[in-house]
This record gives sequence, structure tokens and C-alpha cells, in this order.
Amino acid sequence: MLKGETTETVESEDTPQERLLIHLESDFAADGQFGKRFLEVTATEVRVRESDGVVSFHIPVAEIKSARNEPLVGGGQLEITTQGGEIIPIITYSLTLASRFSEAARGIEQLARGEPLQINLEQKRLRCAKCGRLLPEVDGICPACIHRGRTLRRVAGYLRPYRLQAVGLALLGVLTTTLNLVPPKLQALIIDHVFSTHRNYIFLLEMAGIWLGVVVAATLVQILNGRLIAYLAGHIAADLRAAVYRAVEFLQVSYFDKKQVGAIVSRITQDTDRIWGFLVDGMPFLIANALMLMGIACVLFWINWRLTLAILAPMPIVVILSAAFWKPISQMFFRVGQKWARFHTHLNESISGIRIVKAFTRENTEFAKFQARNRELRDAGIQADTRWYTVFGAMTFFIASGGLINWVYGGWMVYRGQMSLGNFVMVNSLLGLVYGPLMWFGDLNQWFTRAMAGAERIFEVIDAEPEPHARGGIRHEIVGEVAFCDVRFGYDKSNPVLKGLTFTAKPGEMIGLVGKSGAGKSTTINLICRFYEPDAGVIRIDGIDYREIALEDLRRQIGIVPQEPFLFHGTIAENISYGRPDARFEEIVEAAKAANAHQFILAKPDGYDTVIGERGTKISGGERQRIAIARAILHDPRILILDEATSSVDVETEKQIQEALQRLVKGRTTFAIAHRLSTLRNADRLIVLEKGEIVETGTHAELMERQGVFYKLVQTQSQVTQIIEIGMV
Amino acid sequence: MERQTPKAIDLKLFYAPADRLRLTVDEERSYITVRPVWAAPLSHPGRYLCLLDGKGEEIVMLENPHDLPPDSWQAVQTELRRRYLTAYVKRILNVRVEYGATYWLVYTDRGEREFVTQSLQENVHWFSPTHLQLIDVDGNRFEIPDIRALDLRSQMLLESVL
Repeated sequence: MLKGETTETVESEDTPQERLLIHLESDFAADGQFGKRFLEVTATEVRVRESDGVVSFHIPVAEIKSARNEPLVGGGQLEITTQGGEIIPIITYSLTLASRFSEAARGIEQLARGEPLQINLEQKRLRCAKCGRLLPEVDGICPACIHRGRTLRRVAGYLRPYRLQAVGLALLGVLTTTLNLVPPKLQALIIDHVFSTHRNYIFLLEMAGIWLGVVVAATLVQILNGRLIAYLAGHIAADLRAAVYRAVEFLQVSYFDKKQVGAIVSRITQDTDRIWGFLVDGMPFLIANALMLMGIACVLFWINWRLTLAILAPMPIVVILSAAFWKPISQMFFRVGQKWARFHTHLNESISGIRIVKAFTRENTEFAKFQARNRELRDAGIQADTRWYTVFGAMTFFIASGGLINWVYGGWMVYRGQMSLGNFVMVNSLLGLVYGPLMWFGDLNQWFTRAMAGAERIFEVIDAEPEPHARGGIRHEIVGEVAFCDVRFGYDKSNPVLKGLTFTAKPGEMIGLVGKSGAGKSTTINLICRFYEPDAGVIRIDGIDYREIALEDLRRQIGIVPQEPFLFHGTIAENISYGRPDARFEEIVEAAKAANAHQFILAKPDGYDTVIGERGTKISGGERQRIAIARAILHDPRILILDEATSSVDVETEKQIQEALQRLVKGRTTFAIAHRLSTLRNADRLIVLEKGEIVETGTHAELMERQGVFYKLVQTQSQVTQIIEIGMV
Repeated sequence: MERQTPKAIDLKLFYAPADRLRLTVDEERSYITVRPVWAAPLSHPGRYLCLLDGKGEEIVMLENPHDLPPDSWQAVQTELRRRYLTAYVKRILNVRVEYGATYWLVYTDRGEREFVTQSLQENVHWFSPTHLQLIDVDGNRFEIPDIRALDLRSQMLLESVL
């Protein structure tokens, strides 16, 4: 647990009391400059050591009451509260280290309470072990050091089902090269054997015939090539997208907490695009061009090595130029891309918010903003294109100079009779084929790397630890007892949200979870659904540790009516039967009736076939809620979760929803969260949470009588919303 | 219940004990833990300072904290420097864009620092055409209050990536 931490030399005292249990390096010096200081914790003492080895602060563990991470702007400080109640900030650190220091604070508290040290200070990698670069994500991949070879092999694995076509593509590449080299040779032959000698017209026709054959063959090869590329591109792109999507579906919920939806979506779309683009466009192009260059070089040297050397003399300049200008130019185009993104963001925002824009008559302001972005985009585009055409022009000069050298030096050779006119013309035509690929090779490395980086991002998703679907587990028909035994959990391991919850819900019992926001209500529910698993302690269902039950089996028997029900694009009937697509229509109607939804559904012109969700008919929040309830009723779960099911609806609708809920909860173990405490009057038992701990349990009436935390919550609420009558029976 | 908003000059802020900023208003009220917080540090730098009590509730907002008695202002500044770990970039020593990540080496008012930003689109905030804030992958903040105040090389490096 703490291994690898105590790398610094430990002082001579080697008694267990003096052994360093925690040793952390901070990145701010005492004066607020970037620097180094060390937090050292032994079983008996907490101290801060400066970079010069001097201990600048120390306090015996026995004098510590508590310790915590006080968040600062851009970092945090470790604060210790002494037994005397004095609060002392002892060390400051940046956000990079904040989670480790708050874990250390937890450790100090454990020591102060005389508990065994149970913290997780595993060394997070901030820098790449290989090249020393800072990592973009802690413990993430170093984009510069990805195993390009290994990644390439893995990417190439997606070609395997199509290896015949891939080999065909490579062969066609070779064929194209060969065919490209034939016409210049034919030209040479015609010039030397027909033009120079002024006879042998038949030979000309023969050559023309062969030429025609080559052109026809080249055309066919090109068509075949294109068709193969289209086939491979389509298949590989689809396979890659399917692989990533499937992996995303089974990712742990915590993955989605950390990443934005947009970022995940871009992996499925953009990154896969880059890869197939490289596989299908890049690789064949690369192979064909490399072959072509080699072929041409051989032929040129074979014809006349001295002339070839002279012609190729400007080539290094072309290569150097394209390498030198690639980066600034690509950066400029990257900037254009960024400006496009900014432009899009604004456009999106102002058009989706057009009603607000109109309501506040901000058309002119929005237009001004639009114009600013538009101008930025224009200027960036002009700058990048100007530079590109300038450099491109310069390249053309050097390429043209190759031709000029051929005419001067080659022409001189022809004049001296050292080379035939035919060969001279052949060299000239071959030259035209060389320079294009040469310019392109400069970008190759970057292009390749970008594709491999995209691949690595995709594989990161594919390789991320999935939910334990595969672990299997027992199948269990749930009766409905749910028991929390000393359950501890935190999204960020250093900051526990649930601190030892223990309670048991009997089968069929309705439990109301009450508490201020941040008390741990939603977290409790997330754990019941096993979106997350407890860090410590056990959740038992019917006496079985729920991690032993197959995840699929467990989720099948849990139903949720979420706070903001998410409905899919589709008909109302499809949405209600989402959990049981095989349900008969009568069953759907029955569920809708039980959810008080039947009536409003019939009022829609298309009834149950009304299309809702994005781009579908708009439905109100209350209707949405009742469809979600019908969905849960039809799903017929053993354990039901109601997450603020009646928030943000009017009183009449709330009544209807309440009725529906009462039918729904019958006979099921139910956990309900509600902001309006009145809605929990029907609960068998209320559990009042505060800062992750249970502070009260009992029925509504009992808790009101006790005049404790719940009573206060109700009082506050009745002051705030007097419209809603709180049932103080 | 209604109290008149105290004037800056009547506020006495001092450290007691050594690490706790304490506030006495008009010699009649006292707050043992005071946290100074800038209400809008980027759009109104140096103005609108809120003093919060131990529960995080506002005691007073000072439009112009420079009006505090000199000793109090001194104490508040010390506390602010401790609470705001934002570094102000004085010089950009190196910037490289590689494979989607941007690697920075900068010299700031707090010394030299290396950091990485990802997706500049989301992590560079422009408050004016010359004032920007960079947020690195861990959420650490680096501010450039005025690009034109940087040396030419720094400006060029910045220009090359933004």
C-alpha cells in the first residue's frame, strides 16, 4: 500500500515508532514559490521538512484531533486541527497532488484515532517513464511514446478478415507502378527507332499498340483499385466503429464521470476515421509511391547515372524545405481547425438559443460575436493559405529546376552523342513522376503518428476495464431484502461520500432516503444499482453478497424511475416496453393505465404510436415521468428506485404520479429519494443521511415527534414552500 | 437584524493565532476565521473582494479593498497569496504541440514550471484579446494578464499555438 513511497533516506531512528508511514513531496515551497517540501508522517509525529532537510514544523500525533484537505484556488493545503481546537495549515500543494494529500490527511486522522493506517497512496505516474514528458492524463498514455509498431500490428489485425482483398490491393499497387514506367520507355524506343532514323513506321504503330494496351490495363487496374479501396474502407470503418461502440457500452459508469460525452463520441467517429483513412488510403498510397520511387530511381541510374545525379541535386532542398515548412504550415491549418470549432460552438449556441436571443433582443450582440469569430476564421484561413501557396510555389521552382538541369546537362550529352534522344525524353517523363511523391514523404511521419495516436485512443477504450459482466456469477431470483453492512464509498477515493452505512430493507418495504444535497442519497442508489461497488463493507441481497450475483441478472430485477427520465427516440409504446421488448400490446396499455398515463397518451393523435424523444413530439415533464413509471411497471422489478420522481411538476400532476407510484411500489422493495418530504409520507421507514452517515431512522410520524434532523428539514421546507401542504398528521 | 454595511476603513484584519485571519468590525463584532475571496478575479482584478466567515457566508464585499487600513490590507494580501495558487506567466520558455497535447515550459511569478494542456479549445479562456488563462490537465491555473507585456519570443511562441 505504501510501498515505494519511502524512497528518501529514513533518519537513523529505526524504531517502528519512527518509521516513515507517509512521505509525500509537495510542489510549493513555504514562500509560495514553486519548490519542494516534504510531508512526513510516523506513528507518533507529523512533520514538514524543507528541501534543505530542516524540519520546519512538527506536531505529535497525540495532539491531533483531525486533518483535512482545504481546497484553494488551483491547489490545496493540508490543515490540522489540534486537540485544543486550533487549526493549523501545514503544507500547500497544487491540484496535481491534491488527491494524494487528502488521502494523507485521512491517514493522519486514522493514526490520531489509533486506527490501523488504511489509505491508498499508490504512486501516480505524472511523467512518461520512457521519455520523461509530462503525461496528458495521470497514469495515462504518453502520446509520443506509444508503441507505434505494436499498435500498427494491432490495427492491421482489423484487415485480417479481408486479407485477400488487402493482398490484392498491394499487388495492384505494384502493377500500377510497373505500368507507369512503361510509356516513357515506349517513347524512348519510338524516338530512337522511328524519329531519329526517319523510317520503320510499322514499329511506331506496334509501339502505339502496346501503349494502348498499357493505357487500357492501367485504367482497368485503377478501377479495380478504387473498388477494392471502397470495399475495404467501408468494412474496416464499420468494424472499428462497432468494436469501439461495443466496448463503450460495457464500460464502467465511472468512466463516463471522467470523460465528456463529446470526447467519447469523437473516439467512435473521428479516431476510427483516422485509422481507416490510414489503412485504406495511406498504406496503399505509401506502398505504391515507395515502389514507384525505387523503380524510377533504378531506371534513371540504369540509363545514365551521371545525369541522374545532376538532376537529383536539388532534391535534398525539396525534402528539407518540405520538412522545415511542414510544421508551421500544419500548425496554421490546425489553427484554422480550431477557429472553425469556435465558430461552430457559437453558431450552435446562438441558433439553439434563438428564442432567448429574440426575447432579450440581443440579435445585434450575437451578430457582433458571430462577426468576430467569422473574421478570426477568415484571417486564419487567409494566413494559412497564403503561406501554403508561397511554399508550394518555391517547391515548384526546385522541381522545375530538375527539368532545366536535364535539358542543359542532358541536352549537352545528347549533343555530344553520349546519350540517345529517346533516353533523354524518357528521363524527362520519368522526372515528372518523381517529385510529387517526394514532397508527400515529408508529411508521412506525422501522418502515421497521428493515425497511431488515434488508434491508441481507441484501444484505450477497448482495453478499459469493463463492468464485470464477464465475471459471471450466480443467478438469483430476488426476494427483496437489501442490507448495507458498514458500506464505505467515495467517487474520489480520498473523499468518502458514504462513511459506513448500515441498514436493512425488508422485502416489500419502502425506504425513503432523506437529507440535504450532498448527503449521499444518490450515491446510495448508485451502489444499489451496482453502477459502483463499495470501497469497504458489503451490500447483501437476500443475504447474498451482491457481487456474487451475475450483474445482468441483478440489473434485470432492479427498476429505476429517474429524476429526469431519459426517453429514447421512438414511439410511446416502444419506450414503455424498453425493458421488455416482447411485451404484448395489452400489457403495455395496462402498465400505462397503472401509471396514469393512458389518458394523455390517447389524447395524442397517434396514441401509443406517437413518436417522442429527440425530433419527436414534445411531451411535458409530467407525461415523461409517467411514461418512465409505466416503463418501470412493465419491467416488473423486485427492487425499485424512485429518484425524485415528482420534482418539477404541478400539484395535480403530482397527485396522479403519486397514485401511479403507489400502485408501482406495491410488493417491491423500494428506495425513494424526494425533495418534497411530503411525498415520502407513504414510506414505511425514512433514513435520514447527513454527510454520508445515518443520523436518524423511523417512520414519518416518529421522526416528526422526535423533533430531530428530519423535523428541522421539514420545518425549513414548509417555510420555503408553503403552497405544498406537509402532512403533519 | 439589519446591520449597516461596514466601511472598509472600519475593518481590522489580522492574524491571530499565526495562521488564522481574524476580522474585527468597528471594534464591536469579531470573526475568528475569515476567508478573502475575489468575486470576479479575471474581469475585475483587484476589485470586489468578499470576506467570508467560517461557514462560507459573506460578511462584506469591498469594491475597493485598497481602502482597508494598511495593516489589514497587508494581512489580506498575505492570505490571498496563500489561497490563490494561480501563477502569472512572465515568460514562455518553450511550447510544443505534439500529438494533440501542448507542452509548456514557463517562467512565472512563482518560479519555473512545466505543464501540459489538452484541447486548447476548452482549456484556454480568453477574457479579452490580450488577457488569457491556461488550465492544465490537473486544473492548475496559469494566467497571462497582458500578452503584449510578454517579450517578443514569448509572444511568438504563444502565437504559434493559439
